Amino acid sequence: MLECDVLVIGAGLAGMRAALAAHTNGAKVIMVSKVHPVRSHSNAAQGGINAALTDRGDSWEDHAFDTVKGSDYLGDQDAIEVMCSEAGREIIQMEHWGVIFSRDEEGHLGTRTFGGQRRARTFFVADMTGQAILHVMYEQLMKSGVQSLEEWFVTDLIVADGECRGCVAMEIRSGTLQVIRAKTVVLATGGLGRVFEPSTNALICTGDGIALAYKAGVPLMDMEMVQFHPTTLKGSGVLITEGARAEGGYLLNKDGDRFMLKYAPSMKELASRDVVSRCEQTEINEGRGVDGCVLLDLRHLGEKTIKERLIQIYEIGRDLTGIDITKEPIPIRPGMHYQMGGIKTDVDGRAWDVKGQWGGIRNLFAAGECACVSVHGGNRLGANSLLDTVVFGRRSGEAASQMAKDMKPTEVSEEKWLKSSEDKLRSLLAREANGDSVAKIRWDLGTSMVEHLGVFREEEGMLATKAKVEDLKRRYEKVAVQDKGKMFNTALIFGIELGYMLDCAETVVLGAIERKESRGAHHRLDYPQRDDGNWMKHILVHETPEGPRLSYQPVTVTRWQPQERKY
Amino acid sequence: MEAILKVKRFNPEAAKPEPYWQEYRVEVEPHFTVLDALIKIREEKDETLSLRCSCRSAICGSCAMRINGHATLACKTKLSEMARGRPAVTVEPAGNMPTIKDLVADMTPFWSKVMAVEPWLQPRGPEPQGEYLAPADAMQHLVGVMACIMCGACVSDCTVLEIDPNFLGPAALAKAYRFVGDPRDQADAERLQALSRYSGIWDCTRCNECVQACPKGIAPMDRIMALRDRAMDAGFRNNTGSRHTEAFEEIVEHSGRLDELRLAIKTFGMMNVPAMLGLAPVGLRALMRGKMPPIFHKPIPNAQAVQKLFKKVEEAQKGDRK
Amino acid sequence: MKFAFYPGCVSRGGCPELYPSAKAVCQKLGLDLVELTGASCTGAGILQEKNLLLGDTLNARTFAMAEKLGLPIMTICSTCQGVMSQANKRLQDDAQYKAKINGFLAEEGLEYKGNVVIKHLLWIIVEDYGIERLKPLVVQPLTGMKIAPFYGCYIVRPSWALGFDENGGRQTSLERVIEALGAEAVDFSGKTRCCGFPILTINERNSVSMVAKHTIEAKDLGADVMVTPCPLCHLNLDGYQPKAAAMSHREIDLPILHLPQMIALALGVDHKTTGLSRHIVSLKRLVEKVGVRA
Repeated sequence: MLECDVLVIGAGLAGMRAALAAHTNGAKVIMVSKVHPVRSHSNAAQGGINAALTDRGDSWEDHAFDTVKGSDYLGDQDAIEVMCSEAGREIIQMEHWGVIFSRDEEGHLGTRTFGGQRRARTFFVADMTGQAILHVMYEQLMKSGVQSLEEWFVTDLIVADGECRGCVAMEIRSGTLQVIRAKTVVLATGGLGRVFEPSTNALICTGDGIALAYKAGVPLMDMEMVQFHPTTLKGSGVLITEGARAEGGYLLNKDGDRFMLKYAPSMKELASRDVVSRCEQTEINEGRGVDGCVLLDLRHLGEKTIKERLIQIYEIGRDLTGIDITKEPIPIRPGMHYQMGGIKTDVDGRAWDVKGQWGGIRNLFAAGECACVSVHGGNRLGANSLLDTVVFGRRSGEAASQMAKDMKPTEVSEEKWLKSSEDKLRSLLAREANGDSVAKIRWDLGTSMVEHLGVFREEEGMLATKAKVEDLKRRYEKVAVQDKGKMFNTALIFGIELGYMLDCAETVVLGAIERKESRGAHHRLDYPQRDDGNWMKHILVHETPEGPRLSYQPVTVTRWQPQERKY
Repeated sequence: MEAILKVKRFNPEAAKPEPYWQEYRVEVEPHFTVLDALIKIREEKDETLSLRCSCRSAICGSCAMRINGHATLACKTKLSEMARGRPAVTVEPAGNMPTIKDLVADMTPFWSKVMAVEPWLQPRGPEPQGEYLAPADAMQHLVGVMACIMCGACVSDCTVLEIDPNFLGPAALAKAYRFVGDPRDQADAERLQALSRYSGIWDCTRCNECVQACPKGIAPMDRIMALRDRAMDAGFRNNTGSRHTEAFEEIVEHSGRLDELRLAIKTFGMMNVPAMLGLAPVGLRALMRGKMPPIFHKPIPNAQAVQKLFKKVEEAQKGDRK
Repeated sequence: MKFAFYPGCVSRGGCPELYPSAKAVCQKLGLDLVELTGASCTGAGILQEKNLLLGDTLNARTFAMAEKLGLPIMTICSTCQGVMSQANKRLQDDAQYKAKINGFLAEEGLEYKGNVVIKHLLWIIVEDYGIERLKPLVVQPLTGMKIAPFYGCYIVRPSWALGFDENGGRQTSLERVIEALGAEAVDFSGKTRCCGFPILTINERNSVSMVAKHTIEAKDLGADVMVTPCPLCHLNLDGYQPKAAAMSHREIDLPILHLPQMIALALGVDHKTTGLSRHIVSLKRLVEKVGVRA
């Protein structure tokens, strides 16, 4: 049995930031990740990280307002204030640790303007900001000596007597299970993108931590809020950064019209993501698309800007579509990108109970995309996700290590927990092939989710997907895994992940059917208006022995009263 | 259309674990990458096939493997291009690393070498309140190195690692350059001294394999060459590598062309008896066969023109630095 | 066909047998050569370590000389070819850079406009002369001989600097020449790997290990001889083969031919001209196998 004060599950930006904060605070930390930390999906955040640096005349309150407005007033304003007011400090910390941010001519940090914001406050490293920060974070982790279990897959959270006491994890390479005992646990496992097909998300984004917490009875919040990014490739769903529009890219329909001039005359292509995605989908649905897409035109930016500031996009165009973006517009369409909802936490990452208090599983924390503080509400602003990970990663690491200081080691029966996890895996491996497969079930799930829980939603379709998810859960109970080996059995892992994805899907569908209005990314054709009177509140889903239950929490409003959202 | 992939399999749990080739035929679309095809095989034909992959867009660095014999990322390699003119596309795990299973390489040695270059920023003095000031072009230059995703393609195909596992290798050395080239890092001297030792920058053969393999255009070898230059500039010249480079430059400047005898003598030093004796058997054998460079070296006809160019370029560079 | 001939330093230095072999072969093929006697060393990648601008300037000077003659450059060394190709690409891709370098060349009355084509003899034979035209010239077919092609790094990598995209045939050029001469090409994994020469003085053990690895692999696959278009590879593969054999505790005995020597052998050039007796690993048995006396 491995032992520590703070166990961090997940090693993307939020996880590593939490591990470093806890380590700095004197805790013995173990960090577990199913992939090597630098393979984490934080890599994919291309465009930048927002922060209002007050020494250059920006104000964090402005950033907070843009975030509140972007969230369609569903974000909790106290949490948004924390994130925006601490942003500058985090950016400087990242810079001091070695991130190679782009500079201005005087050698200060340079910025670009991102969607939904009135000021240039997005700090960036070409179009690989996430990668740049992730690798630096891992450098700091190597320096710190924090114990990092790389390519270890968590099969169970150890929850007993209202406490989370660690986890059972499998070393993927050998297939051996280990119990890791901890005083406090931080979940930083990222999003659930693969629940949708296609999605911009990496194949590892299977909602593991969200599902683990859900199964432990922890409430999930705002799960219906799923962001569709305006610029993704058809087919694979691979992301084209918002940076492409931040640098001045145009969106054109089949007639060559810059249609955003009509929908959002002031912010144009840089309106909020939910808005731009809806406009694109409207153009496509009304017959002004090109083969199910609209066009992103970057030609006027010139080869130099493209090759210096949009390197990855240039390569993605060339390698995945055969298009030279310096010479031709590239077809794009809205694609599933980010989950605003997640494990409900407070601003210190502490998981809440259904009553909206810190009282359920008191030593469980969450940060990053798997958590919902909620700073993104109905729609996340571009370049706020990296910020979310580092601010709340740090805060949860600090809080988790602080709490661990006053705790005695928890009691864990190693034998019992190993056996129960082993039994679970063994039963999955023992099943007889029945013609169905993990991949087929996942495909059916993902395509149904995109079909009925996409940019536009309505009751009938969502009910169909609800029934589909229930059916797929039944199929999942019987599905077999072909690979019976112990070592690096990826088929087994996909099998377990599929279970996590189905649990996540259930909560997304339930939340979406429940919210009978249109707000942020959740746009219903049958309820096209925002309805602050009835729905200016969060929807929580938690599991009970009788099945999933819904409850509500008020939105925290500090200083910005809801207004109509125009860009 | 149908594609044929020949995949090198390895099952460590087999009674007698041996690598073997397995052929898969799979229906593919024209836009498919090799990774798309492998995923399709894994999902529809053979779940037991293990490989690492995640982002599908060449940023996570998981899927480095050898395709048609050369390392690359499966997710950025077009299947149709690989299949052109071949009966089958071959897929193997990355080289120069042990294989765990199928296409999954053990990257433990890779990371221990990265760790060996102390890959974290080492500034000195008090931290500024705000950011460190750094020239925009220096940072832009570093972005080209920092774009390394640690996929291991360069290490897979490195010719030196193939015969000497101690060599730090292209990925770790490029990572080292990322810090030496960073104006905020103040540990250049220590870094360059360590890198000038055995198994470091001077052990690279300049074979360009890493430049060819790198899917992100990092050109690790060019970074290693830049490190050599920096190391010599920083005064770490007491090694055969830097003596060889300096002697080469001096000889070409002097006569416009190479003089192999003088190069050897200058590289080892006339007084380095063991090294000279080591050369002797080869030299003697060559002498006996008449395969020897001329003892009396002849400069090119207008060697002064070359000497002038050396001066001009160096003066211009001094001017640029100011 | 007329070329500005750039022999490189080693063909008259460490491998003095290469220069006359190449000239003899060109004569047989009827290639007209104007030697660039005033050209300097390319820098061999070594000068470039310390000073890329300087290296590119020296090469631009050579290119300007050839351009003045209105001739493409012919090389007989993979390293020269690679270093020059890379320099040419940088100069052609960046007009500003080229102008800067032309500034240095002005005093000598030279200017490089950017139009020179640089080709190794190997590529010239395959692409310009033509394999089909070579075949009838063979008077002494190398039938029954198994020859392992060893390219040398600089003539294959990086492929984008060497025109591989436009001239896909370059990847298999050596094999095609081998086959045109009546011999069989031995396919082995080491054929495009490094011979180890550049680190010979720095890490002899590694360098010689590379010699051992490639020669043994080819030998074990049945090769009678290895051929290389790179004299630097030749220096190591031939000169250090005895050490490689000692290090591996086994006999290797794999003669190494320069590309022109191999062609000369088949075209019936006398062995004195091609200096076959000058090699460290004896060619005697091989020559006997071909059927003429050394």
